[in-house]
Formats: sequence, structure tokens, C-alpha cells
Amino acid sequence: MSGVARASGPGVLRSVQGRSAWAALIPLLVQFLVFGGLLARPTTAPALEPVPAGLDADLIAHRADDNLRSDRTFFRGRMVVNSPRLSGPRTVVFSSWEDRLGKRSFIRIHAPPKDVGTAFLKIHSNLWMYIPRVESTMRIPPSLMLQSWMGSDFTNDDLVRESSEVEDYAHRLLGVEPALASAGGRRALVLEYLPHEDAPVVWGKIMVWVDAEHYAPLREEFYDERGTKLRVLRFSDFHRLDGRTVPYRWSLKPLDKPGHSTVIVVDEIRFDVAIDSTVFTTRNLTRRVE
Amino acid sequence: MSMWRLAWRNVWRNPRRTGLMIAATVFAVFLVVFFVAMTNGVHQKMIEDTVRLHSGHVTISAPGYTENRTLDYFLRLDTTLIHTLDTLPEVQGWAPRVTSFALVSKEVESRGVALLGVDPRREPTVTTLARRVRTGRFLTVGGDHEIVLGTRLAKRLGARLGDRLLVYGVAYSLESAYDLYTLVGTITLPNAALERGLALLSLRNAQDFLVYGNRISEVAVLARSADRTDALRSALRKALANGVGGRPLAIRTWREMMPDLDQLLTLDSGSLAMMVVILVVVVGFGILNTILMAVLERTRELGVMLAVGLHPGKVFRMVFIESFALAAIGLVIGLGLAIPVCLYFEAHPIDLSGQVAGAYEFFGLEPLLVFNLGVENVLYSSLTTIAVALLAGFYPALKASHGDPVTALRSL
Repeated sequence: MSGVARASGPGVLRSVQGRSAWAALIPLLVQFLVFGGLLARPTTAPALEPVPAGLDADLIAHRADDNLRSDRTFFRGRMVVNSPRLSGPRTVVFSSWEDRLGKRSFIRIHAPPKDVGTAFLKIHSNLWMYIPRVESTMRIPPSLMLQSWMGSDFTNDDLVRESSEVEDYAHRLLGVEPALASAGGRRALVLEYLPHEDAPVVWGKIMVWVDAEHYAPLREEFYDERGTKLRVLRFSDFHRLDGRTVPYRWSLKPLDKPGHSTVIVVDEIRFDVAIDSTVFTTRNLTRRVE
Repeated sequence: MSMWRLAWRNVWRNPRRTGLMIAATVFAVFLVVFFVAMTNGVHQKMIEDTVRLHSGHVTISAPGYTENRTLDYFLRLDTTLIHTLDTLPEVQGWAPRVTSFALVSKEVESRGVALLGVDPRREPTVTTLARRVRTGRFLTVGGDHEIVLGTRLAKRLGARLGDRLLVYGVAYSLESAYDLYTLVGTITLPNAALERGLALLSLRNAQDFLVYGNRISEVAVLARSADRTDALRSALRKALANGVGGRPLAIRTWREMMPDLDQLLTLDSGSLAMMVVILVVVVGFGILNTILMAVLERTRELGVMLAVGLHPGKVFRMVFIESFALAAIGLVIGLGLAIPVCLYFEAHPIDLSGQVAGAYEFFGLEPLLVFNLGVENVLYSSLTTIAVALLAGFYPALKASHGDPVTALRSL
């Protein structure tokens, strides 16, 4: 929430900046200088082993993604939000259905009581939300994809996946990290995902650590287009399922908000299931659920 | 006294040259007064607009709020704070606010907005928001579950007065926040982007919506006048040195809150100063040239004057007076033209419709060129012109009075 609030919130109220068109050049110039400086800042790369021969970055990215989702995926789980604002963690229970090929997904909230029955429907780039208490459906504008989802550190985009880490990014294998500390010393392939030019993505870069043995994603770091690391997503609690190695625990930590974190815990996940196409309809959004 | 008459006659010996020089001075004086008046007017209006649109002269918030603008940074509107603001003599008006981000929705259509919770009673003491009503009315003290939108926002949503609008967001408690509010009015704002993205609730409704208790995001405080801004800040810092409820406060002026605006004004004043300097220097050299020519072509005459025993000091004074007279005539005519013109535009600001208007709106300003003549402007331009004329007259006067009469008589 805070990210966009900063950009389009009260900041707008004070955008009184100039009185002639040329004055607009000054902030641009300043930005250029600042960004130029940031770009020129050297990045400290971890000591990596060289890439073994015969590995294809695109294929690894694909296999990493396959451990999380399939063409038609059903998911039921809990999202636990931790924040210094809260005296205890806040838990949201939800189910999701995703039709990857049809670019459709549906999410239904089961708890907390205030949000029971709230549902999200995404078809291509359209996102609708239904709130049963006020019996209202609202379309969430694409500009709000980076907004917090249900008060968590995940964004709307994370949940409904407007972008695909496989299709919308170019993948490059940087090397091998022999023992990734945040994943219990697992051997990890380190990849860099850079977005394609016209891709509808929200990140400037993603660094991905993939288990060298079974290609499960271990860790992802998200950067903005200025190269600032904004958040870290860690995967853990791996289960073997249908030939996949599936992380049952996804922990997200935003780096700009100390004390905040969100964990999604998988209670049930099923791959390549049959999903009735009536799931992805506005009628299903408003369906009464007990 | 006779030197004055003599000088006056000398000035008009070459009416064409003198006329041209006076015209140049008139032009320069007019330009300087005109542009200084315009810049002052525009700057004052920019500050006034900004201050009266939102921020007040001084803003009180929790440290870090300005940089992050999330609900995590708040202060509590407790009795100490209210008492301080109500009793401090430097405070002209004050208004507490809650700001957050939300979605406003009419039927299926929705827009992301800056949600502003304002106290309907106190807000008009600081900002002009309540006077900007386009249709309907502003929030009222007794009103409940009422919402006011920017006119463009209402239009985009297709919302009409009396419609029930759904507002959705994330509360301070991180739970979903949603409620229905009745649209009671729309307001016009100078900035189109703002008008498309601002929704107002009463402070109490906003606090309930966000599960925010008696927390607020900031207090906007209006000073008795713009130049009392720093005094107001000092007074507030002193009175609230212990913070509110044991928590420290950030008390900042609009200059600190909007350094870009401040810098822009400084830069603009700088470029104006540069123009003034150039004009003044050109006028100075013009006068120097005119008087020097006048002296050089009178070498013989001045030599005679010195030879017959006129005191060199008197010759010096005469040439000096010529230079002064030239500038004074130009100054009087220049001011005579500039003052009425500026006063006219002060009463009738120039409406910049057309292409430039877009640029103005982009920056959130009304496309108006406002003038503010000011006594200082007239005084400083006059003093500068006279000073430059005297400076320019110095060398020719020295040359005229310190020549050797014998050589002077031989020349020509």
C-alpha cells in the first residue's frame, strides 16, 4: 500500500513546482544526475563458481516456475502478516484457482470474518473484486497492481500474476553459489531476470536462486528500475508432489519496511487439475459462500 | 544653481542623441519594474496557492511522515496539541488531517485516490478547499458518511450528487477497510491530476475507516502572514518542544516541505536578477558613452571655461549633473509608464489561455500572470538607475574637469 500511496497519494497535493515549461527540465536534469550516479554505483557480486557447461538459463527459469505452478493449479493456504502495527500476526485464509494458459485466476477469502466471501477474478489484465458485505463488485485499475493485497506485503500483481517470470523476462545464468545460507546451505544456481522491453512488469530486475539439484526456487530478490533491492522472497519447507519439488512456505520481506513480513503457507496444492470454466466468471464472484 | 541650468542646456544641445539615450533608459526602467512586479506577483501567488491549497505555512507531523507517507507515521490529536494550537498568537488557523490511499468505486468503475480526512470546521481556517465547491456542498460538521470528490474524479466515475460510493482500502490494522459514503459535493482544484485523484471525508469518518483512533497524519498551520512563517515555526517548536504524548514532532515550513518549489523560486529570482543586471549595465554604458561624447566634442569649450578661471570642481559638477539629468528624465518617464501598466495588471491578472495554460496546469497552478508592484520595487529601481548614472558620469566629469586648458584650446 505504502509504495503507491507515496507516489500518487498526498504527494500529488504538493506537485506545485514551476511556472514555466522550461522549469520542468530542472527536475529532469536532477533526476538524470541522481539516477546516473546510482547506475554508476558498483554492485558487489557474491563470489560465485563458474557456470557448469550445458545449462540453459531459460530452461532453468522454466523448471523453477514449474515447481510452483502448472497450467491449471488449485491452491488453498494461509497468509500470515506480521507488522509492528499489530499486536499479533494477522491470518488470511484463501483458495485460488489459476488457469495459466487462459490467463485467468480466481481467489476466494475464507477468513478473517470481515473478509469472508471476498473474491478476486482476473481475466487477462482485468481484475475485479467482490465484497459481499456491501454486495459490490469493483474493478481494480491496472495502475493499482502494486498495491498491497489484503494488507499484506504481497501485491495484487503477485497474487493474480499479470506478468510471468518465464515469459516476460530474459534469463541469464550468473554462476553457482555453493552453499546458499538462507536455504540451509543448498547448492544454488544464480540467475538474473531482466524484463523484456515492452513487458507489463513492475520490477527492474529479479535475482533468482534455484536449487542446483531439483530446480526448486530457493530465493528471489526484487529490484526496482533504479537497481534498489526492494524485497526478498524465500522459499522453504519443500515437498515432493507429482514429480515436482514444491515449497510449502513462501516468506516475503520488504526491505523498506522494517518489522513487516508476510508468509504464505500452503495447506493444499494440486497441479494440472480440471477447473470448471464457470469458476472464472463474474457470477462466481458474487456467489454466496457459507 | 547656475550649474544646474548650464547642465540642463548642455543636455539638450544634441536633442536627438539625448532623446535616444532617454528612450533607452525608459525602456530599461520599464522592463525592470515590469518584470520585477510580475515575478514578485507570480511568486507570491505560487506560495499563497500552495499554502492555501494544502500545506499551510507550517506543517506538524511525526518524523519520517513526509518521506514515507504511510499510516505508520502519526501523531495524536490530544488536548495538549489542541490547546497549544488554539492559544499560540502566531497561529492564524490550523487543520488536522489524515491521509491515505484508497479506491473509490461507483458500481464497477473505480479509481485510486488520495483519501484526505479533514475537519470540516477547522479546514477553512487554513485552506481554500471548502471554497472550491463546484457542485453540491462541502463536508459539514454534523454530516456523517459524506464524501466530496474532485470534479474530474466524479466525472470519470460517472458519480452524481446523492450517489452512494464504495471506498476500499487497507486500514491501519491491516484489515480491509470498506464503507459506503454519499457524494455531497465536488470541488475544483488548480491541478488536473489532483482533481482526478482527491477524495475528502470528514476527519472522524476517515479515522473510523482506517481504524486509526485519534491518530492524525499531520496538522497544517497558517501563519498570520507569509513573512511570519519562520516566527510561527519557532513559536511552535518552542511550545511543542516536548512533542506530543512523549513522541517527537517534525515541524517544518513550506520551504522545507517543498524544497523544489523554494529552489525554483530562488532560481527564478536569480535569472530575473541577471536580466536586471544586464539592463542596468547596458544603460550605464549608454550614459557613459553619451556623456563622454558630449564632453569630448566640447573639449575646446571646456578648456575655455577652465582657462577663464572656472573652478574644475564646478566643471566636474556640471558634467555630473548632465549625467544625472539624463538618467532622471529616463527614470521618471519609465516609471510613469511602468507604474500604471503594473497597477492595471495587478487589478486585471493576465489569463494565460491556450498553449501555455497546459504547462501551468501540469505544475498545478492557475494559468494567471499576477502582478505585485510594491514600493520596494519602485524604490530600488530608482536608486539603482540614479546610482548607475552617477557612476557612469564620473569618468567623463573627471576628464572634463582635469584637462589641461592649453592642450584643450589647441585641439580642434
